[in-house]
Amino acid sequence: MVKITLNHVYAVRDHWTLSASGTFDNGVHLVSGEVGSGKSTLALLMAGLFPVSGGNIENEDITTRMLSLQFPELHVTGLSVAEECASWGVAPAEILDAIGLAEKKELSPLSLSRGELKQLHLACVLEKDYDLLLLDEPFSSLDCEEKVKLCTRIGQKSQGVTVIFTHEQYILPRVHRIWEITEGILVDCGTPPGAFTNWRHLPPLIKKLTALGSRPDNISPDDFLEAVCRIRE
Amino acid sequence: MQDPRIRIAAGAVLSLAAFMSLFSAAAVFLWWLVFTPRLQLAKRIGLVLSLIIMIAFFSLVLELAGGGGFSYFVRMTVIVLIGMWIFSEQKSGEFLSMGVWLFGNRIGFEFGMVAEMGMQSLLAFTADFDRIRMAERLKGLRWEVRSLIPAGLVLVHGALVRAEDTAELLAVRGYRNGGTLCPVFFTRPLDIIAGISALCILFFTLIPGSEFFILY
Repeated sequence: MVKITLNHVYAVRDHWTLSASGTFDNGVHLVSGEVGSGKSTLALLMAGLFPVSGGNIENEDITTRMLSLQFPELHVTGLSVAEECASWGVAPAEILDAIGLAEKKELSPLSLSRGELKQLHLACVLEKDYDLLLLDEPFSSLDCEEKVKLCTRIGQKSQGVTVIFTHEQYILPRVHRIWEITEGILVDCGTPPGAFTNWRHLPPLIKKLTALGSRPDNISPDDFLEAVCRIRE
Repeated sequence: MQDPRIRIAAGAVLSLAAFMSLFSAAAVFLWWLVFTPRLQLAKRIGLVLSLIIMIAFFSLVLELAGGGGFSYFVRMTVIVLIGMWIFSEQKSGEFLSMGVWLFGNRIGFEFGMVAEMGMQSLLAFTADFDRIRMAERLKGLRWEVRSLIPAGLVLVHGALVRAEDTAELLAVRGYRNGGTLCPVFFTRPLDIIAGISALCILFFTLIPGSEFFILY
């Protein structure tokens, strides 16, 4: 079974430390936390791109991994949009048609807007199956419509460990487990909806729905809608 | 070294001295060993090594073309060490304080602010470069000369975007020129000793020993 286990891992960066313990197994995981809480550092640690100062990370059956960095331009290696798709090993025509960038295939990826580039980058990343997929702030620079599409795309993933590191509070995919980083420590909040009682960064909409006596089952817009419908009933 | 005025002046003086002669370069190296926390270099060892390799290449070409390569290599390596020391000791806001201290709240503030922005860009540049290398590794691409073109484009593009953002931000905030700042510096006795030693090295580089000592 594919999984990644953090055994009392800690990392030191400038003047703060990050401690993390827990197992991320098959499914979609959400790691929330405030800006600057250490989400990106944890993503780098799990990708094996940041030195561990203590503890260790065990990877089980993970042969392919990918970290999507917050800023998509840092991933650019192609001189044109089509070349950029090809650099990810995916067919440019299909991807570009799907995201509506077919007309811009000859342009430099850096001439796209940040939102378009993020769309292109995520489409390429999600086209392939990785045993471990780490998405650092995947919703940044996307509009609401694109965020919903991304959630659907993530929800369609049937295999591997997907970890989303984000401070997004409104449009999120259905997840298997919720984690959060508070005061430099990774906390396992559990599985939804039970996790909502332990989750310090609980989205305001869930707070409101819970107060109205209709707690959603998960954190996706569909779950919120279902909870709202229950109130109307 | 706490005082940025002495640090930057010493850096300039030592670089000049090291460039002028092999003997002075040796003296500057000794100064670097005595007065700087050399372990800080480990944090930037990748950058230092790449610079030294680049210098070694040009030194070899120079040596093969007519000599002087060894001297060039030693002098430039010492200058790189001094430069890395200044870079690693630099703290945010020091250039602004120095600019105001030197030239006042109008022109000095502007000079200082430009220097601060330059430093910030340099730090962002190195951070971006590290991330680009990571991203290439994640894609399974090997780092080669060809990789420099897209990486360079991303870095330049990033720098231009940041510059534009900063300019817009300054304009939105109504910035026209100058500002107000009361610079505060902390000087330790060791800073003064290090500064005087640096000046002595430059002094003996510019004026030969035979001018002072009666040599038989």
